[in-house]
Amino acid sequence: MVYSKKSPALFVIGLIMLAIWYLGDSGMMNGYIEHLGGKKYKYLGEITSLPLYFGLISAAFGLLQWLGPQKEGDWDYFTSAIAGAMFILIIAMLVRWFVAPEIAVWSKAMGKVGDTGKYIHKLLGLNYIVIGIVAGIIIVNVFKVPHWAENGVRLSRLGLKTGVILLGTLYSAAELKNLGGLSIIMIGFFVLGSVGMVLWLGARRNIPNSMGGVLSAGMGVCGVSATVASAPVVQAKSVEIAYTIGTILLWGVGCMFLFPIIGQLLGMSYVQFGAWAGTGILNSAQVAGAALAFQPDGIETLKVAEIFNITRVLILPIIVLWLAVWYVKREQTGEAVNVGRVIIDKFPLFVLGFILLFALSTTGIFSPPVHYKGKYFDNTKVKPKNMMTDEQIATLTANADKVQRADQKAALARLIEGRKIASIEDDATVRGLVNSRVMGKESGAILKKAHKAVRWTAPKIKAFRKWITWLFAFGLVGLGMQITISSMKQAGGQPAIIGGIVGFTKAALSLVVVMMFIKETI
Amino acid sequence: MNPGQNVLLASHGTDGAKAAELMALELCEQGGHVHHLIVVPTLWKGMTGDDWLNNGKTRNTFRRYLEDQLSAECDEHIKRVKTAAEAHDLRYTSEVIVGEPDECLEKTSTRKSFDLIVMGSPRPKGKSGLRSRMQTKKIHKLSTPIYIVPYPDE
Repeated sequence: MVYSKKSPALFVIGLIMLAIWYLGDSGMMNGYIEHLGGKKYKYLGEITSLPLYFGLISAAFGLLQWLGPQKEGDWDYFTSAIAGAMFILIIAMLVRWFVAPEIAVWSKAMGKVGDTGKYIHKLLGLNYIVIGIVAGIIIVNVFKVPHWAENGVRLSRLGLKTGVILLGTLYSAAELKNLGGLSIIMIGFFVLGSVGMVLWLGARRNIPNSMGGVLSAGMGVCGVSATVASAPVVQAKSVEIAYTIGTILLWGVGCMFLFPIIGQLLGMSYVQFGAWAGTGILNSAQVAGAALAFQPDGIETLKVAEIFNITRVLILPIIVLWLAVWYVKREQTGEAVNVGRVIIDKFPLFVLGFILLFALSTTGIFSPPVHYKGKYFDNTKVKPKNMMTDEQIATLTANADKVQRADQKAALARLIEGRKIASIEDDATVRGLVNSRVMGKESGAILKKAHKAVRWTAPKIKAFRKWITWLFAFGLVGLGMQITISSMKQAGGQPAIIGGIVGFTKAALSLVVVMMFIKETI
Repeated sequence: MNPGQNVLLASHGTDGAKAAELMALELCEQGGHVHHLIVVPTLWKGMTGDDWLNNGKTRNTFRRYLEDQLSAECDEHIKRVKTAAEAHDLRYTSEVIVGEPDECLEKTSTRKSFDLIVMGSPRPKGKSGLRSRMQTKKIHKLSTPIYIVPYPDE
C-alpha cells in the first residue's frame, strides 16, 4: 500500500512557511510586528529561523510527493507522515506568532476586567496553547482533517512524549524528589479515592461491572488513556466505552478552559496550579494544556503538572491489573490474570526516556550538575555593567547595620568588597537576605540584581526549553484534531451522572488540599 | 402503506430499530426481499480521543477489541433479523458499512432499486444509546418512499 498522497498541499505549506520567513527576515513585517507589541514582541527570533528550515523541508518533500513517483515501502510510509506534521506545525506557528498576539492586542485595547487587575485574555487563558487546541478541534469537526494529513496528525503523540522525555533535563534531583513525593501522595489518594467512589456509586446505581470498571479507570487515573487501556480487560461494551470516553472528553475540555481561569482568580503559584491541574483534571492531555494555558511563556507549571502525569501513567498498569482481578472475581469468569503480561504491555516506555535524560542531566552533561531549575552559579563571567556600582555599594553599606545574622553579615561584607557575589553559598545567603526584606526595598533590589548577575542558564537547557515548548504546542494542536464533537456527544447515561459527581468532587477537593498544604515553591 | 417486493431496512439493534425490523417484515410481500443495512458510525474512529500516554500495543489492543465488539453486535443483529425474515418466507441479504448513517442510507438506496425504505424513529430523550442520527434532511430528499416506524410505547 502507498501511504503518501499525490497532493500539492505539503508544497504549498512549505511556500507559506518560506513566505513568513522572508517577510520577517527582510523587515517587511516590521509594521505588523510593531502593531503586535514592537519591542515586547518575543517571537521575531523564531520567525526569522524556524519557517526557513521547516519551509525548505516541506517544499522539498512536497514537490517529491506531488510530482515524484510513488512506491510502496518504509520510505513511503514514514515520509507520508510529513504532510500531517507540517500541517500541525503551520497551525501552531500561525497561532503562536500572529493569532494569540493579535487577541492580546484586542484584549489590551478593551482594558482590564473590573477589579481583577487582569486583561481578559490573561484571565481566560487565551494564549497560543489554548487557541491552538481550539483550532485543532475546529479543524476536525468543521472542515475534517484533510486526507493527505491524516497519517501525520497521529505524530502529535510522539511530539508530546518527546516533550516529556526532554523535560527530564530540567529537573534537579531535589525538585524531582520533592515533586515526586508530593505527586505520589496526591495522585495516590485521589486516584484510589475516585476509583473507589466510582465503584461504590456504580454498585448503588446498579451499573454493570464492565461499565463500572472502565469508568473507574477513566475517572480515576488518566482519562481516555486509562479507558483505552482498561476497556478490553473488563470487557466493556461498545456503548459503555462511548459513554465513558464522551464524558471524559467533555469534562476534560471544560476543565482545560476553566482551571486556568480559577487559578488566575485565586492567584495560585505555578507549583500550586501544576499540582491542582495534575490531580483534578481527569484527562492527561488536558493537564498539559491547562498547565501551558496558565503559564504560556514558561514551563515551571508544566514541569509540576507533568510529574503528576507521569505518576498517573506509572500507576495505570497497577490499576488495570487491579481491575482485571476485580472483574474476574466479580464476573466469576474463571480466567487467570497474567500479572507480568499486564505490567509489561501497559508500561509507558517513554517514562524510561524521561528518567534517562534526568540521569544524564544530573551528570552535568547539559548544564553544571548543581543547577537549580536549569540555572547554575558562575561568578567568573559577570559583565562589568553588572558589577555593583559605588552608589549601590554605598546604599548597601548604609543599611548593613540592619542585618543581625552572622552568616548574612559575612556574605554581605564579601559582596561589598568584591562587588559581586563570591560563592554559591553566599548566593544562597544573599537570596535569604532578599526574602527577609530586613535591608529595605532599595537594598533588596540591589541584592536581587547581584544574585541575577551570577546565575546563568546553560545554553543547552535554553535550547531544551524552546524545543519542549514547541513539542508541546505541536502535540496539543495535533491532539485537538483528534477530539471529535461526535465522540463528546456520546457523554450520557450513568457515566455522565457518576462522572459528573466524581469529577467535581475530585476537582474541588484537590483544590482545597493544594491551597491548604502546598507551598508556593518546591 | 402498500406492501413492497424489495424493502430496504435500516437498523442497528436499538429499540427503535427493532420496531422497524418487525414492521419491515410485515410490510414486505411474501416471497419478497429484505435488504438489511447496518451502519457503523464513523464516530468510532475518534474513540481513542486524545489518548497519548498509551503505547502502540495498548492502542492496537483497544482498536481490535472495539472492532470485535462492534462486529459481534452486527452479527447478532443480522442473525436475529435473518431468522425472523426466513420465518416470514422472505429472502434476506445484509451489508455492514462504516460511515455517516444518512450518507450510507442515501448511497445504498440509490445504488439498488427499492420499493420502500423502513427505519426506526430517533431515540426519545432519556433513553440510552449512541447519539448518531440516520434521519436527516438528506433522507427526506430521497425518491424512494420511507416509512419511519414510531418508537415503541411512544
